[in-house]
Amino acid sequence: MSEGTPLLQASGISKRFGGVHALEDVDFGLAAGEVVALAGDNGAGKSTLIKIISGVFPPDGGTLFYQGSRVAFANPQDARARGIETIYQDLALADNLDVGANVFLGREPMTRRFGLPVIDRRRMRAEAAMTLDRLDIGLDRLDRPVSALSGGQRQCVAIGRALHWNARVLIMDEPTAALGVPEQRKVIALIQSLKAHGVGIVFISHNLADIFAVADRIVVLRRGTNAGERTRAATNPDEIVRLMVG
Amino acid sequence: MKRRTLGAALAALGLAALATAPAQAAGKKLTIALIPGLTTDAFYITMHKGAQAAADALGDTLVFQGAPEFNAVLQVPVLDAVIARHPDAILIAPTDKVQLIQPLKKAIDAGIKVITVDTFIGTGKYQTGSGDADFPLSYVASDNILGGQIAARALAKAIGDKGKVYVSNVKPGVSTTDQREEGFKEEMKNHPGITVLTTQFNDDDANKAASQLQSVLARNPDLAGVFGANLFSALGAANGVKQAGKAGAIKVAAFDAPKSIVEQLKSGLVDMAIAQHPSEIGYFGVVAAHAALTGHSIPTAIGTGFTVITKDNVDDPNVSRFLYSD
Amino acid sequence: MSTTATVAARQSSRVPLLAALAAARAWLFLIVLITVFEIWARVSFGASFVGNLFNLRSVAVFAVAPLLLAIGQTFVIISGGIDLSVGFTMGLAAIVLAHTVNLATPALGTGAGLLVGVAVAVLASMIPGVVNGLLIARLRVPPFIGTLGMYGVARGVAFLLAGGTTVPVSNAALNYIGNGQLAGFPVVVLLTVLALLVLHYLLSQSKFGQYTYAVGGNRAAAVRAGINVRSVTIRLYVLSAVCAGIGGILYTGRFSAGAAQAGEPLLLDSIAAVVIGGASLFGGSGTIVGTLIGALIVAVIQYGLVFINVEPFWQFVAVGVVIIISVLVDQSQRRLGGGRVDE
Repeated sequence: MSEGTPLLQASGISKRFGGVHALEDVDFGLAAGEVVALAGDNGAGKSTLIKIISGVFPPDGGTLFYQGSRVAFANPQDARARGIETIYQDLALADNLDVGANVFLGREPMTRRFGLPVIDRRRMRAEAAMTLDRLDIGLDRLDRPVSALSGGQRQCVAIGRALHWNARVLIMDEPTAALGVPEQRKVIALIQSLKAHGVGIVFISHNLADIFAVADRIVVLRRGTNAGERTRAATNPDEIVRLMVG
Repeated sequence: MKRRTLGAALAALGLAALATAPAQAAGKKLTIALIPGLTTDAFYITMHKGAQAAADALGDTLVFQGAPEFNAVLQVPVLDAVIARHPDAILIAPTDKVQLIQPLKKAIDAGIKVITVDTFIGTGKYQTGSGDADFPLSYVASDNILGGQIAARALAKAIGDKGKVYVSNVKPGVSTTDQREEGFKEEMKNHPGITVLTTQFNDDDANKAASQLQSVLARNPDLAGVFGANLFSALGAANGVKQAGKAGAIKVAAFDAPKSIVEQLKSGLVDMAIAQHPSEIGYFGVVAAHAALTGHSIPTAIGTGFTVITKDNVDDPNVSRFLYSD
Repeated sequence: MSTTATVAARQSSRVPLLAALAAARAWLFLIVLITVFEIWARVSFGASFVGNLFNLRSVAVFAVAPLLLAIGQTFVIISGGIDLSVGFTMGLAAIVLAHTVNLATPALGTGAGLLVGVAVAVLASMIPGVVNGLLIARLRVPPFIGTLGMYGVARGVAFLLAGGTTVPVSNAALNYIGNGQLAGFPVVVLLTVLALLVLHYLLSQSKFGQYTYAVGGNRAAAVRAGINVRSVTIRLYVLSAVCAGIGGILYTGRFSAGAAQAGEPLLLDSIAAVVIGGASLFGGSGTIVGTLIGALIVAVIQYGLVFINVEPFWQFVAVGVVIIISVLVDQSQRRLGGGRVDE
């Protein structure tokens, strides 16, 4: 493991679907301010593992420790409430709402006007702007629907929202897949900035260049088991590929 | 193969019909089906009552089945189902002059006698030996052209034989309302002091009919009267008059007289209602069917009357009995 | 260098201009429409169309019933659904009101009789809304199918209650609501303006309104954000039904009779008003103000064509053409990729 108390620790995780072992005795750890890339071929068990961590499935065996105590998430909302947030590419934002409204979706601040309770849009925009500034996400206008933003900018807004609500662990599933090169760089830069804020990041990508650009550590899964684990400095893409294909 | 089975079935039916003929003469209960244009309308509900009265008097069984909307696509399946139950005669208000011809032929082929009520198929002239739609035995209905004429006369009298009027109609292409408009306009030709403006179609929407009246009035401040060719046309026009503050100044003639019209007549919203006699149509329809089934000849057309109802005569039981009841 | 700058400047100014035009298209259309009628009226028979208070009042009263159906429908359409049952929910409320007022007035008097009638009619109109909401939110029935089923049920029940005829009602207070005037304004119009204000507030300022947009924009995102999408959906259809119920109440007041089929012909006009007003049938966008303009456009066209004495058949064509143009504008705007604002 890396230095410091692990923020999240999964030990001996197993999961079966019918007769198929999707995961068999898998270990996975993540420290605050650390980026761990989860690598593996299709069907290696990457998405099953992150779904267990984010509360979508309960594991059949093994234990989850989060911030020092043992946890069992009832559902994804439960995991999110405790600060484990997954960033999905398509499901993240309501395209027709502006940035502030998306950051605050479901938790809108209210104010009063003429004695009537109204949504405080000005505050939503201001606070969203603050959060985005803190992460160095530059958006020129926050009052336009997010459909007017680029894919990378939307990704940033989704991440900004998670951070605004104090996410401690961010799970990012192929965050750069649908983006152009400059956009990918923006997301990679944001991940660096999140690290600096002490957020633990689980990063899934098929793109080895991306993995090597951001990850501190690389955990490789193969057919539902741990196939190896390397710090970035101590490995190279060829070795990771060998671990993936076995 | 299929055709042979059908032929055999028809032959069997024919035999069955022959076999039952003496039984009828011996006083077997006749079954007569009444298929209205739609089931949810006071006009047809009242027709049903008249038909029931006749059936009770004659000792026949009456079956009442129809579709909830005035629509051939909905009516034909009902007709098929009724034919399948093989009544002795079918009284039907066909929802389309053409589309109901073939479906009704099936009834004839099954040995069921057909009489149309209120509306007709083909030209409405039956038993002439010409055309393919002359097979119904009789057409029992009020003469809608005459009804339009009566409405025109009553309205002309109410406005002192001068001024502008127009027809508020449902939609183009409905035989009865078209005939009312035709009769109305024809009669108005005999009243040179009266100008008939363009007809307005309201899609059976009282709200639209009200707005149309106001628009026509805005354009023609000397508007003197309006003829609502059916209930909602009249109710809408009447409300348009009321909203414009012209109650009493612009006369409203309504075609048809459901019970709710009494309120409108009494409050002066509607000045006159032309009541058809749907109960009479139902009654004479059943009588005609019974006569035909028991070997009597019947007229190919039976015309029923109209009553003009106003505020002054609406409480007279001889008049109020023509209100359509529910 | 200068070329790139010009191109950039042109692009940045062109897209917002088009977007602004598209956003304001309903307003523009209404203005063009009124101008055409005004010119036509002046040229052909020397009268004014808008300068005539009677015309304005008539159009306003005409727009009331479709508008009441349309403002509830606006919420439903923004959420990505559709409510086809509103016409007969309106009819149901009209019949229930007529019966209840007839029963209650002799015992309770005019005012209380009317209040009881309105309360019962509103409650009755909520039933189809709740059932629609449960079907769509809980049983995942597509809105088109679920509300089409309810269209049939509400229609059947309304006709059964009506006994197949219109139900006359006599109550002075109800008649005042339907046909009275307050300070020169028809009461039905004032009540509708009140309903517009309340719904505009709900849609643009409340969490419920915000969630309506969110559900229509991205249902999955709304669920993930912890919004109780089922509850929002049920409330949407109840709101739509209650608006229709209020439409039925005002209808009964105007015509002194409840009719089961009162709202049936209004369904298409009301949906047209929502779409012309800028809502997308795919959900996510739309405003109450837009719907108001849309309803006024539909009303002005129909009223104005009669006023300038256009052949009835052309009137059908005109309304259809307006709807098609409106949808085309909407789609071309979508293709431009322009976004929508949510207030």
